[in-house]
Amino acid sequence: MTELDPVIHAQARLRVVASLSALGDSDRITFPRLQELLAMTAGNLSVHLRKLEDAGYVEISKTHRGRTPTTLIRLSRRGRLAFEEYTEAIRALLDPTSSKEQS
Amino acid sequence: MDPDDDLPPPDAAAALQLIRDQRGATARQLQPDARLLYWPWGVAWLVGFGLFFLRFSPDGRGLLRLPDWLPLTALFVLLVAAAAIQAVTGKRAYGQVTGDSSRRGRWYGCAWVLGSLSVFAVLGRVVDHLPYDQAALLWSATAVGLTGALQMAGGAIWLDRDLFRLGVWISVTNVIGTFAGPGWHALVLAVAGSGGILAAGAISWRRQRHPQ
Repeated sequence: MTELDPVIHAQARLRVVASLSALGDSDRITFPRLQELLAMTAGNLSVHLRKLEDAGYVEISKTHRGRTPTTLIRLSRRGRLAFEEYTEAIRALLDPTSSKEQS
Repeated sequence: MDPDDDLPPPDAAAALQLIRDQRGATARQLQPDARLLYWPWGVAWLVGFGLFFLRFSPDGRGLLRLPDWLPLTALFVLLVAAAAIQAVTGKRAYGQVTGDSSRRGRWYGCAWVLGSLSVFAVLGRVVDHLPYDQAALLWSATAVGLTGALQMAGGAIWLDRDLFRLGVWISVTNVIGTFAGPGWHALVLAVAGSGGILAAGAISWRRQRHPQ
């Protein structure tokens, strides 16, 4: 069996990465909006984002919108690649013959 | 942290389903509802240009006794309302996302505002020298021409087939209506123009609910 990326191969982080992958390449989303999309608690999302950031899969930047401090999150190039490889590996597990054509 | 959600998905099929569901849900929530983007404009055109046709019918006849100011005021108020609904809907969907997508949206919004301003500034200086029916035709045909062009441009920016086709349709109906003449132009826009907008909204909404 193919070795699956342990950082992404956890339900919560897979949801985070899948959600971020649906944004445009250079788009960043605010923390509260991501939290709303995923229906996760702030603490829980923070923990998973830190793990993804440690792996270099997400970029977290702090900025200001007007006077409000804002945290913006995006999937890094490396994270996007890791997610694509993970998805490809999952497809290969499900259907080893046709995974190449589907990708 | 919830200890359960650090566990891997039960199997590969569940993982793939989770990916599909999450990407689909995210895309849906970050997309403004097509009905709110299109239908208010369709209603504005139907009512506004419909009243125009009824009050200022071809050959100077009036099919309905209405105050002179009513059609233009109704059209203007409904168009402003449609723009406001579109702005709020767009802000709710994209408001918490920054980057290329929001920049595209902002610049496209600027094109609408500045394009309309420059067209109206020119027309405002010219129309006083024209008879009323010709002035009304010039106003609406130019504004609708700009609308069609910007819709096609929007289709090109977002590679949105529905928006591009709507721009083509609006441009064609505008040309047909303009050749038909004052009065008829309003009827063509009220029927074919608003019909096109309402249909584009329905098609786009269906595409959002059932992505290929």
